Amino acid sequence: MSSASPMISVQNVWKVFGNNPEKVIGSADANLSRTELRAKTGNTIAVRDVSFDVAPGEVFVVMGLSGSGKSTLVRCMTRLIEPTQGQLQFEGEDILKVDEKRLRELRKTRFSMVFQHFGLLPHRKVIDNIAYSLEINGVKKDDRHARANEVIELVGLQGYAHAYPEQLSGGMQQRVGLARALAVDPQVLFLDEPFSALDPLIRRDMQQEIIRLHYELGKTMVFITHDLSEAVKVGDRIAIMRDGAIVQIGTPQELVANPADEYVANFVRDIAKSHVLTLKHIARKAEPGDATDGPELPSNTIIRDAAQVILQSHKPVRVNDNGTALGIVSSEDVLRLISGGV
Amino acid sequence: MKVRKSYLLLASVTVWILLGRLLNGTHTLQIATYENTPFTSFVGEKALDLRGNRTESPAFIYFFNPIRGAIDGFVQMIRNLIAVPGQNSVIPVIGWLGVVAIVAFVVYATSQWRTALLSVSLLLACGALGMWQFTMDSIAMTLAAVLLSLAIGIPLGIWAGLSDRVLKIFTPFLDLAQILPTLVYMAPIALVFMIGAASATIATMIYSIPIAIRITSHAIRSLNQAPVEAAESMGSTNMQKLSKVQIPMAKQMIVLGINQTVMAAVSFVVIAALIGAPGLGKPVIDALIIRNVGQGFVAGFAVVFLAILLDRSTSAAAKRQVSFIPPTQKQIKTKRLTLIVAGILAVVSVFVSRTMLWAAVWPKEVTIAPQVAKVTNDITAWILENLTIFTVGFKDLISYGFLNPLETQLAASPWYVTVGMIVALALIIGGTRTAIMSFVLSMAIVLSGLWYEAMLTLTQTIVGCLLTMIVGLALGIWTGRSDRVEKVLRPFLDAGQTLPAFVYLVPMLGLFGPTRFTAIATGIVYSIPVVVKIVSEGIRAVPQTLIEAATAAGSTTRQIITKVQLPAAKKTILLATNQGLIYVLAVVVIGGFVGAGGLGYLVIAGNSKPELQGKGLIAGVAILLLGVIFDRIMQAGARRSS
Repeated sequence: MSSASPMISVQNVWKVFGNNPEKVIGSADANLSRTELRAKTGNTIAVRDVSFDVAPGEVFVVMGLSGSGKSTLVRCMTRLIEPTQGQLQFEGEDILKVDEKRLRELRKTRFSMVFQHFGLLPHRKVIDNIAYSLEINGVKKDDRHARANEVIELVGLQGYAHAYPEQLSGGMQQRVGLARALAVDPQVLFLDEPFSALDPLIRRDMQQEIIRLHYELGKTMVFITHDLSEAVKVGDRIAIMRDGAIVQIGTPQELVANPADEYVANFVRDIAKSHVLTLKHIARKAEPGDATDGPELPSNTIIRDAAQVILQSHKPVRVNDNGTALGIVSSEDVLRLISGGV
Repeated sequence: MKVRKSYLLLASVTVWILLGRLLNGTHTLQIATYENTPFTSFVGEKALDLRGNRTESPAFIYFFNPIRGAIDGFVQMIRNLIAVPGQNSVIPVIGWLGVVAIVAFVVYATSQWRTALLSVSLLLACGALGMWQFTMDSIAMTLAAVLLSLAIGIPLGIWAGLSDRVLKIFTPFLDLAQILPTLVYMAPIALVFMIGAASATIATMIYSIPIAIRITSHAIRSLNQAPVEAAESMGSTNMQKLSKVQIPMAKQMIVLGINQTVMAAVSFVVIAALIGAPGLGKPVIDALIIRNVGQGFVAGFAVVFLAILLDRSTSAAAKRQVSFIPPTQKQIKTKRLTLIVAGILAVVSVFVSRTMLWAAVWPKEVTIAPQVAKVTNDITAWILENLTIFTVGFKDLISYGFLNPLETQLAASPWYVTVGMIVALALIIGGTRTAIMSFVLSMAIVLSGLWYEAMLTLTQTIVGCLLTMIVGLALGIWTGRSDRVEKVLRPFLDAGQTLPAFVYLVPMLGLFGPTRFTAIATGIVYSIPVVVKIVSEGIRAVPQTLIEAATAAGSTTRQIITKVQLPAAKKTILLATNQGLIYVLAVVVIGGFVGAGGLGYLVIAGNSKPELQGKGLIAGVAILLLGVIFDRIMQAGARRSS
């Protein structure tokens, strides 16, 4: 992203577990595979030289399989886990340099987190779970309950304020988790696999909920997931992690259209390309015999949305990118893509 | 490898037996009970010096004596409240009616009316047994020790729960406390703090604080970490995390820890009568000394009732914490109303018990003690007359079949042969380090001059443990395989674990008379519940898929047990054996009371006979050394088998 001042800037962050972690970074050992390194020094590299910026209002997704270091990375970003090395800026403030007190203040007011296993306090009612961070901020009971009721409304938990977490379904519990994170009106939401523990149907609802909340509130979000379709659905940009390192960062279209390597290609293979790619990606030069007087469509149309027009037209569609002709797309091109070819 | 190990064991046992036979009666290091070695008389003199120093040495004047004074004062305060009259009074502050009412109220408030009713009945039964004042003294002692133990144990437990380093420092002490036989540290404490309530309280605390620490730290550590992390991510300070998240979530298990602490304290308070604890232990000991089984039963029943009362009331409170969801408004209102009524009744009862003599002092006429004593004495007499064939037969079978040959082998062989055998065992089962440690510890016993007595105790412990394991394994496998058996046995196992070991001596004395066999039988009865529990848990922990696979392959039940479940549970069984050994050892030495001899007798004699004090103190250490040798060898074996 070329935005002038990023909300969050992560530069060359490393996290190495084990004894003397600093020694590993920069040495030849850092290039060993995980198993080799563990056998040799006993260290594990969870996050390897990771850099990226997150723009204000962006939904930045970190995607990877279990053990890829994505959960460690998100914890490093809020210093729940102390990074071994690197820079980390939040609105220009060096997070790794701030003292405990300032860090707590940032956690209380600027960023909040949503957890895979909810992390609700079992001994507190929904409303007091949501009001917890206000409580430790020293907000008076009436005021914090008033605010909690607002966010209860926002996430659709009306009527459950006085229930206890164990009385709620998983989806409802995660709504409480969301409400709790939103209660302090933070600038950034960190979501660590927020929906992985939920049933598929509920998961879909909650993804919609996140998209809605993002639309309504415009919060910057860092969203961790192992599910590529979820990443594509909610993410403005996606970073794919493997063995602690970022393999590729890009918009969903970029990842599907130009995977950086075999690993990413393998990942995106199962994504329905027609749902992600635009006409721009499949437009080709007209060959002899192609009709060049078909209907015209803008190049940023998602293929799925253009399919009906293209398939019904007897002539290839002409693709137009702000006035310049990019090429044509025929019915055969669309069918080949949908049936799994390129 | 496995085969070789068992061959090695067999070979070393054969060599040991042959050598023992060959050199029988030489170098046994046996000395008469009243004879002192230079070392034991040296320790005795030092102990005497220590006593003389109580009013002179700064360590006593500025450290030990103030502690003793403070604890004595604390205990006395509680005793004056419910058990004995204060200085300017003829009755305790609260009479029996008041105590009953308060117990009923507190138990009702923390659990339900049924538990309250049970508690009141048990308390009244103690009174009817003529044991009211002893019971109150035991409650006062337990209360004092528990309050102090929790005040120390819970904060330390939380600390150990939060910090790995602290836990690492505590662990060796907690482990040692688990294998420390109760009899061992009473004498040294009494030496420093004098015979009396203060010593008894401190000894009880040493016994129960580790339990409070262990369970509290486990409670904090086993918490679901997600809410803790969430609280941290929201900017909680460590203090807020602890007070608003960790402690509330761990509360249920901490209450369970309180229950365990109470049970440990009450069982120790009874035994602590040996160093002057007021309470129910005293009549039990008196009855044991004069071998009056009936009288022992009367006091023993009171101990059992008190233990059940404390267990039920505190564990019911723990169970109530299971759900974090509190009752509805209506339920709260009803409970509040009944609580107010019950509270008023309790206050009135306390008032009455302070003004009316009948409610202050338990009426002497209301007693069933003579009847209970007579019935139990009659039953004992009848058993001795009619069932001698079984009791004496069994006793003789074990005595001639196991005890005597083993005692000959262990105690009548030259010391170096037996030490060699112990070291060889340690080497085969545990490895070089265990062998070196066993050698050093065994030599320490040899040099202490009490080798012969230690071998008597060792014999009794081994035989007791063998019998315990035979019964415990059978019952444990059965309970582990059948839910129905588990359901039936569970209450008995739980009850067996909460009763003080002391109490079991009474019926065993009735059955077998004053012999070492009585001590062994008590040890067996006392340790079977814990062994059964551990073994059945081990059997249950064997994955169901393994058993299904074996069944699918056409195994018989017997094959499943011997070829699947037992081998898979081997480590647990070794640990159960270790527990069995430690428990039997702890009880066998207490059996010094009823004629078991060995180290236990020396410890007890050392308490009452000044000329044997040195020997008694050293005997305590020797018991501890024996326990550590067992523990190290078995633990190393368990580690290796996993």
